[in-house]
Amino acid sequence: MEALLAFSRPALDWHALAPELTLLAFGTLITVVDIIWDDRSKQAMPTLAGIGLLATLLPVITLALDGTDRTMFGGAYVIDDFSLVLKALFLISGYVVILMSVDYIRDGDYYENEYYTLMLTSLLGMVMMSSSRDLISVFVALELLSIPAYMLAAWRKGGARSNEAGLKYYLMGVFASAVMLYGMSLVYGLAGSTAFGAIAEELGSLDSSPVAILGILFILIGFAFKVSAVPFHTWAPDTYEGAPTPVTAFLAVASKTAGMVALIQLVFVAFAGRDDVVQPFFWLIAALTMTIGNLIALRQTNIVRLLAYSGVAQGGFMLVPFAVAADAPARAVEAVVIYMAIYAFMNLGAFTVVLAVARKTRSGEIDSYGGLFQYAPGLAVAMTIFLAALAGIPPAGGWFAKFGLFRALLDAGGGWAAGLGVVVAVNTVIAFAYYARILGQMWFQPAPDGDERPVVMTGSLKAALAMTIIATMAFGILPGLVGHFGEVSVLSALGG
Amino acid sequence: MVDTVVFILAAAICLTGALGVILARNPVHSALMLVMTLFGIAVQFVALEAHFLAAVQVIVYAGAIVVLFLFVIMLLGVDRAQNLELSVLPVQKWAALVFAAGSLAILALLVMVVKEPVTGAEAIGGSATGDENVRLLARSLFSDYVYAFELTSLLLVIAVIGAVVLARKPKNVVGVAPEPGNEA
Repeated sequence: MEALLAFSRPALDWHALAPELTLLAFGTLITVVDIIWDDRSKQAMPTLAGIGLLATLLPVITLALDGTDRTMFGGAYVIDDFSLVLKALFLISGYVVILMSVDYIRDGDYYENEYYTLMLTSLLGMVMMSSSRDLISVFVALELLSIPAYMLAAWRKGGARSNEAGLKYYLMGVFASAVMLYGMSLVYGLAGSTAFGAIAEELGSLDSSPVAILGILFILIGFAFKVSAVPFHTWAPDTYEGAPTPVTAFLAVASKTAGMVALIQLVFVAFAGRDDVVQPFFWLIAALTMTIGNLIALRQTNIVRLLAYSGVAQGGFMLVPFAVAADAPARAVEAVVIYMAIYAFMNLGAFTVVLAVARKTRSGEIDSYGGLFQYAPGLAVAMTIFLAALAGIPPAGGWFAKFGLFRALLDAGGGWAAGLGVVVAVNTVIAFAYYARILGQMWFQPAPDGDERPVVMTGSLKAALAMTIIATMAFGILPGLVGHFGEVSVLSALGG
Repeated sequence: MVDTVVFILAAAICLTGALGVILARNPVHSALMLVMTLFGIAVQFVALEAHFLAAVQVIVYAGAIVVLFLFVIMLLGVDRAQNLELSVLPVQKWAALVFAAGSLAILALLVMVVKEPVTGAEAIGGSATGDENVRLLARSLFSDYVYAFELTSLLLVIAVIGAVVLARKPKNVVGVAPEPGNEA
């Protein structure tokens, strides 16, 4: 017994942990610099945070070049192509969000250096999430990315709407966590292990156990809250509208992607043998999310709310491949990863334009977009590209994401997949309607108050816009580029 | 035999406490009744030979968390019965009833279905008796779960930083008048 209890130091692969440690180091550095220099460090903070993200990309690249799959902590932490692609996606999205934040946060009357600390911590949770193959790691990663996000949503302390946003997000988030934890406890009770590989073996052998079904459903419902899938989406519009706009972009892109990443790992690794539960659940959720998100988006007059509901609907599109998770697993993972990558850039781009326009008009109403082409043709063209991408019109990137969905559905075949394909097609058409409304407003309507002064663009906003435009167009014109990422990203390690 | 008696007694303590939490008119009494529930659960942990969890249950939950509840209740000055009718929509009451009944049905179903340990698989640390609890937990925490464990500490630091930032008054704002009705 003594021998069994003897402690052996876990093998640490520092290279594999380098991305997280680098992020952690920069997060700490920002906090310490803030404490020592206080307001004098104000200008340096966004730069420091940006450098931190770029520095974190370095070990991700070296790990990718190295190319070997690494497993640590009994399979709880895995570095494979899938995790590296997603780590890079999170870091780049985070960088764009920081570019968007620079002026917004500096000009606001609620400036705090801690904004960047929290942002980096949240990204740390996401980066960790993409490597977690164990219930406890997934949960800790989820909390690490959510808790800073709750506080960022409430960052405009003086604004009642921002407070509402933070509080709603927090309450719904902890409720979802509680449901998920209950599911996890049931699954752990059944499997006797928290590792995804062991869970897959154990759950696959229990065919009709209601406890297993309940456990799986509770975990999936918990994450459905996080990715704002209907009917668990009610927090999203209020939170998105109330939160500071860069934070909204962060939530709509990075946070949602992180939830999807967790779902991919759960569905394709831990619950791999349970397509009897997983496939009908996702069929229903995906169809509901797409349809209801799109129908409500049609009626919105505020552009941030519209993008929020459009984001809900886009999340529904991302959930589609999960409904054929067992019939065409490789294609399904590929479709979700590609969709996430393209969605990140086109949505971040759209939010950047909203942010830039709001600097002049101080308004989020769609009516205020009248005359945009006259006084800011560049922004109008950029917005057109992003909206076309979101709607799925070639050559902007979005069409390839939708193409991936249909390819996964076709590979799966069968009546249910075909039915879901029809729902996707109908929803794509509905989405055209509201994206076209914004386009019409920008291109054909006069400016509402006749104010045609140009929008003042700052360098960081220009950089964010350039990055997102280039990425969106590149994915559309050279789909092989992102297709390549999708192919390498099939989950390799099944948790040791 | 002894096991059953202990279980029934502890379960009765838990349920009495839980009923007290929702039935007491005074929030302070609710919080104190919560201690009773948590104590009953601690007894259940002892009966399951999870001694460490039992101790943590008493120290952390019954001790720290309930004290925190009491602090907040008393600081906010809501230590008397409140009229809760004002803010509740009539639909909410019915929805709450439906969901509560549904949850109860699911739990009852689970209890009826699961009559024995489902898999018989042992806990991740292996079977544990008595004092080895702490060692097994420590070994898990510092080997397989060390990464998640260390990042949890970061999580706590971040929660504190964020809470301080959100709660603190901006330093360049001087002499903010309290909103009417908030002075007391």
